[in-house]
Amino acid sequence: MNRPSLPTAPERSAEAPPATGGRPVPSGRGVRPTGHTLLRVGTASFLVHRRSAAVAGALTLLLAVACVASLCWGRNVVPPGEVLKVVFGAPSDHEFTVGTLRLPRLATGLLVGAALGVAGGLIQTVARNPLASPDIIGVTHGAAAVTVAAMTYGLVSADVMPYVSIAGGLLAGGLVYLLAWRGGMHAARFVLIGIGCALALRAVTQLLLTKGDSVAAQQAVVWMTGSLNGRGWDQAVPLAWALLVLLPLVLWAARAQRTATLDDATATALGVRIGRLRLGLAGTGILLAALATGAAGPVDFVALLAPQVARRLTRGARIPLLSAGLLGALIVVVGDMLARMLLYPTELPVGVLTAAIGAPYLIWLIARGRTGGKA
Amino acid sequence: MTEGTEVTGVTGVTHAQTAGTTTATAAGTTAGAGPGARAGGSPASRLGAERLSLGYADRLVVDSLDLDIPDGEVTVLVGPNACGKSTTLRALGRLLAPRGGAVRLDGRELASVPTKEVARTVGLLPQSPVAPEAITVADLVSRGRQPHQRWWQQWSEEDERAVTEAMARTDVTALADRPVDELSGGQRQRVWIAMALAQDTALLLLDEPTTFLDIAHQVEVLDLVRELNHDRGRTVVMVLHDLNQAARYADHLVAMKDGRIVARGRPGDIVTADLVREVFGLHSVVVPDPVTGSPLVVPGAPWQADDSHGPASGSGSGSGSGSGDSLRKATT
Repeated sequence: MNRPSLPTAPERSAEAPPATGGRPVPSGRGVRPTGHTLLRVGTASFLVHRRSAAVAGALTLLLAVACVASLCWGRNVVPPGEVLKVVFGAPSDHEFTVGTLRLPRLATGLLVGAALGVAGGLIQTVARNPLASPDIIGVTHGAAAVTVAAMTYGLVSADVMPYVSIAGGLLAGGLVYLLAWRGGMHAARFVLIGIGCALALRAVTQLLLTKGDSVAAQQAVVWMTGSLNGRGWDQAVPLAWALLVLLPLVLWAARAQRTATLDDATATALGVRIGRLRLGLAGTGILLAALATGAAGPVDFVALLAPQVARRLTRGARIPLLSAGLLGALIVVVGDMLARMLLYPTELPVGVLTAAIGAPYLIWLIARGRTGGKA
Repeated sequence: MTEGTEVTGVTGVTHAQTAGTTTATAAGTTAGAGPGARAGGSPASRLGAERLSLGYADRLVVDSLDLDIPDGEVTVLVGPNACGKSTTLRALGRLLAPRGGAVRLDGRELASVPTKEVARTVGLLPQSPVAPEAITVADLVSRGRQPHQRWWQQWSEEDERAVTEAMARTDVTALADRPVDELSGGQRQRVWIAMALAQDTALLLLDEPTTFLDIAHQVEVLDLVRELNHDRGRTVVMVLHDLNQAARYADHLVAMKDGRIVARGRPGDIVTADLVREVFGLHSVVVPDPVTGSPLVVPGAPWQADDSHGPASGSGSGSGSGSGDSLRKATT
């Protein structure tokens, strides 16, 4: 660097790009955020991260293929043509197998996976930690503890059980956030208190299972591994509505997430109310996770896995929520397909499969060290 | 002490600034914004504190502080560790809520102005900002446009101009697509300053912008601050550790101790051996800076086995408040 010898000299160092030299750039293309394409529509303008868009496109295609495969594959293999007929409402001989048995189960799986993927992305963003997810910080354990209590003591009927689970998840998530709040949200405190609460809640669940009625406890154990077995439109439709209502919140979160990973002082200086922002992001994540758990029980590792894999695929500076959702759906759909068919006729709960894929990944993520970094 | 110094500091000097950067600033400023516009009268001030009290938990750090930041000038806050200078700066940038009193921006209480609106007028670079992992330079600098954007207006011509210009000014254009994690300390600091510049605010608050930088990078950053102030009439408030740098680069120096202002004014008027002893408890000699003519504080002789540092400190305090005058004579 060619530095002027006196500090009073007005010239800046000579390595400045020729066009600028400290002066405004007259014309031509300026600097834009790395890897983004600008879309202008009238006065509106949108920045699209090219690689994220490509990854989302590819994941959508893969997901479509996985969905068709999942509808085809079963005890009776249905040709794809027939499957598409049923899906699009044309008359078919496979109406019952595909339309009544497999389609609602697939729909539930899709929605649960997408909700978990996005929820994980949001919680990891707020916690600034790739290992934080709703199943680590206590949301799913809260849902489990309350559900198991309700099941083993026969407190409520089966059709309100999902709402009980959702309430349990929200309570646990809210409690963790409240306990971690001390004049501001400290990321590490959030994760540690979450883990603490998760462990305590797991102990409560174990206690309930040991003390409770053994038949009910058996059912509770099945629920606790997370299963799409027997899930029909009764689960899929309310979940779809709930997610639709949450969609504006998720769209807000996808944009707001940009500034959530800045430190508090910098974010405040940029006019961001960081406390509210993190509460909004974490709240959305907790809601989504609780809804998914209500519909399918605790499906392990999806929320942990999907955002981190999505982030590595898109190579962006933040977790891509759209790709995380798509990937979450893909993991659950493929996981459920394998769970149904691997040990046929014995059906595995999807949670077992996602955990079997997820645990090695988790270990790899930690072993790889630095590159995993903060979320 | 405080009141007396303020009078001499603000009204006593119109353009008796000394050589070097300060004069260049005053002469080079075009109509309107610069300090030249208000020569004679008391300077206009958009940002200031009134009976401001600040603290953390049960500790009161700043007690009933009054401070006006003169527009279009570089104000530097100095003082010993824990004197409340950074705390005051944080409060001016609404990072810290007042215990008592208020910070005023354009006549309104800062706390009552929507934070996004404040962010379009006041930029702030905190002491040790943390970059999101894997973020690139261009992305981080672009975040500076946050207060000017809406979800349906994510990138305007103005955004692009401000980011491009900020990066050019700080010489980080060539680093645009590099991850911030991989940069050296000096480069990283320039990137953060670029982000604050991209915010394009009339006031810029910098909390120890030279910490962790080697001396060449320190000078580079401070020159950049001067240049910004000169070219755009931008008001700058900085906290600096180094008293000599503060005296070189400040138009308006504020010396703090124990949460109070001890002296304020032009460095040439207020930096004396007496002041250094009062604020830092240090014996020193104040001489004119051989390059800029601004006061240069030379600490008393280092400890030695014999009694040699006694006379040195004695002559330093002997020159007393007169050193400002002798300094101006020496350079004009």
